[in-house]
Amino acid sequence: METVIILVFIVGYLAIALEHSIKINKTASAILTGVICWTLFALSSPTEAILTSSHFANFLEGLKVDLADKFSSLDQNELFIRFVGSELSHHLAQISEILFFLMGAMTIVELVDAHHGFRFITDRIKTENAKSLLWIICWVTFFLSSVLDNLTTSIVMVSLIRKLIPNKDMRLFFAGMVVIAANAGGAWTPIGDVTTTMLWIGGQISTLNIMKVMFIPSVICMLTPLIYLSFTLKGEIGKPSEAAAKHKADVGGGLLMLILGVGALISVPVFKTVTHLPPYVGMLFGLGVLWVVSELIHPELDEAVKKNYTAAGALSRIDVPSVLFFLGILLAVGSLESMLTLHHFAEYLATTIGDNRIIITLIGLLSAVVDNVPLVAASMGMYSMDVYPQDHLIWEYLAYCAGTGGSILIIGSAAGVAVMGMEKIDFIWYTKRISLIAMMGYFAGAAAYLFIEHLLGKN
Amino acid sequence: MEATVISIFVIGYLLIAFEHPIKINKSATAIVTGVLCWTVYAVLSQESIEDISHKLGDHFSEISAILFFLLGAMTIVELIDSYHGFRIITERIKTKNPKTLLWVICWVTFFLSALLDNLTTSIVMVSLVRKLVPSKDMRLFFAGMIVIAANAGGAWSPIGDVTTTMLWIGGQITAVNIIKTLLLPSIVCMVVPLLFLQFTLKGDLGHSKHQSAEDGKAHRAVQHHDVKGSTSMLLLGVAGLISVPIFKTVTHLPPYLGMLLALGVLWIVSELINPEADEKTKKSLSAVGALTRIDTASVLFFLGILLAVAALDAMEILHHFALYLDEALGDNRIIITLIGILSSIVDNVPLVAASMGMYSLEQYHPDHMIWEYLAYCAGTGGSILIIGSAAGVAVMGMEKIDFIWYLKRISLLAALGYFAGAIVYLLIYPYLAVHP
Repeated sequence: METVIILVFIVGYLAIALEHSIKINKTASAILTGVICWTLFALSSPTEAILTSSHFANFLEGLKVDLADKFSSLDQNELFIRFVGSELSHHLAQISEILFFLMGAMTIVELVDAHHGFRFITDRIKTENAKSLLWIICWVTFFLSSVLDNLTTSIVMVSLIRKLIPNKDMRLFFAGMVVIAANAGGAWTPIGDVTTTMLWIGGQISTLNIMKVMFIPSVICMLTPLIYLSFTLKGEIGKPSEAAAKHKADVGGGLLMLILGVGALISVPVFKTVTHLPPYVGMLFGLGVLWVVSELIHPELDEAVKKNYTAAGALSRIDVPSVLFFLGILLAVGSLESMLTLHHFAEYLATTIGDNRIIITLIGLLSAVVDNVPLVAASMGMYSMDVYPQDHLIWEYLAYCAGTGGSILIIGSAAGVAVMGMEKIDFIWYTKRISLIAMMGYFAGAAAYLFIEHLLGKN
Repeated sequence: MEATVISIFVIGYLLIAFEHPIKINKSATAIVTGVLCWTVYAVLSQESIEDISHKLGDHFSEISAILFFLLGAMTIVELIDSYHGFRIITERIKTKNPKTLLWVICWVTFFLSALLDNLTTSIVMVSLVRKLVPSKDMRLFFAGMIVIAANAGGAWSPIGDVTTTMLWIGGQITAVNIIKTLLLPSIVCMVVPLLFLQFTLKGDLGHSKHQSAEDGKAHRAVQHHDVKGSTSMLLLGVAGLISVPIFKTVTHLPPYLGMLLALGVLWIVSELINPEADEKTKKSLSAVGALTRIDTASVLFFLGILLAVAALDAMEILHHFALYLDEALGDNRIIITLIGILSSIVDNVPLVAASMGMYSLEQYHPDHMIWEYLAYCAGTGGSILIIGSAAGVAVMGMEKIDFIWYLKRISLLAALGYFAGAIVYLLIYPYLAVHP
């Protein structure tokens, strides 16, 4: 049965990777993969490896306490069914934490955008020189992406460069650099990137520590390609057309929403530190406050117009399919974890390759081909926190590699895919012009991280 | 600390109930209430933070299971609707006699609502009644009866109604058993007001002045939107919804997984069924488009309100409240009957969540009388006032039914049906229930 489930997982994975050629939305494939994996797992007979694992023993201990005298009346099959149920419920709680966190963040950003809040940042950028503009765009993307998710940041920044750079050829380079900067900027903060967030929510890394050790590697990861382009980039920004400068109707309140929205996002780690409650609670709190404000600041508008500027309207515009995609893929990975498949895979990797640092560097490169969310989820399942405690080198290095390795190919990160969709960047163009410099940045940052760790003398 | 949390909960509740006068969306209030309850609990409590996090994790897992179930169901229904799948049902109704039509509409609503959620059913049926009943006065009675029939039809099926679904997902009731014991009471709950109207309803359906214009509009809508595959989407969707309880019985996995499976299959079919359509049309006809049209805000409302109730549950406030009620009133049946009537004023989701926290599954086994009776009362009691159920509120919005008009003309009928069904349940459960 384990082999069948692994096969289902691989087929599902291929269907997701080949989304565009087979014309089936990856969310549908992901949901089906997740559900089928768990169904097969629930219908299978328990393997020896699971029954003898310490995990199963712990579960039995807990069940004995809960059921008291009724415990002895259960046979092996009933015990296994209950074990599968408890594993699933455990995974669902963890997955939902990530999903509602994402939903909250996406809604807040959408709400700020509905009020044209980001214009207060974008209106301040006013240079005509291509190279200095590239530097500004990259740094803004870098820091914006450390507060917002990479996807949103790149969408915001690409919408911006569309207004600033009429010349299509030049804009493609900017779009490529936005992808690199967004991924690099997300890697060093707990709220900047899905994978770093997952590690943070899971307790593998702590806020201050990840920011301290990861900032310089992330900066280097972005600066290396940027410096390279400073010497080689040729061409003009082009003349802006008047039509592009036109704005949609503005209802006011943009600055207020921007400050509140960014404030809410930044206060999430603070909330977690004070209350010790999981981060999604803080994110929902921020969303609730913004929602109330968004309903109160436009008393003069009628219901239908007002709805566009409240969270109810924002919720209809956020990308719910991607939330369900995460649900499906994380459920699938969860089933592999509960079957101990990942654990065995890690042991196999560790014995053949030996050095964790090499494995994780490879995971980073791999994340350019496959989605980095399941990769990180899989790695979290592969290594236990008993052996590798919080803020261990492998978790931090994993956050860096999985976060920035995706820049090497345009399909390797959510930011890349979004930019590809918006600017119609060719896969081949990106491979020829950007992949090499992205890889230079990736290895430069990785080397910097390992050097810093060496100096600090940790592990 | 308990007093603080209870005050936050009560204030939050009041703000939700007065959503319209204070003009703050109830989802926003619910989220803030839920978060504040847990925050106060976490910061002020003497318990260790590990215990509190553990409790929150358990509740959150249960809540998410309900939310993803709802999300899946809503998307499937929306997907069928975007293929005009329901038109196949609605086009078959062609009578001109108001009383006959009322019976047909009520029974269709009753069984549709057993499969779909009450809200969707009443929206679909009211859109239909608009086309079939031009006379405004007559239509209001139809709308009122749709609310009663939708709520009655939802009560007896595990997938028909949020509160019955909650009890089913929580393991308090089982699929076959709830259908067996509640079908008859639910029918009585709908038939009693229907019989009453049979004798008192006067007037005719009226002639539409805009009949031709509306036909033209409908015709254009058909041309603009009509897509092949309505029948297959309807059949697949309904089959998907019905297969959820079967999936649960076979695999012993929670229902939301069955719902996601059905959604996944429908999603793929929806992408493959129109290969010649261009990207944009295709998107609005696939689940991606359906997901932008579902009511995501109500999912967050449930999240907030269920988190708030969970906080009260974790602090054992609900348990103490139940003990107090038990001592003061004595009989569970009276308490639950009151909960049903109460559900016409306050939202029934938190009421049922609170009751689930009040009574433990160890003391009251799955399929115990109190769970079944709770499913009936919380499901149908909301019909007594128009603001008492999601179906009522939706119909109020669509048909501009007055709160007072409903109170004068429908409330009494609904209350009659409610008590008649309740009496029938209490009479038959000793013969049908597993744990009388």
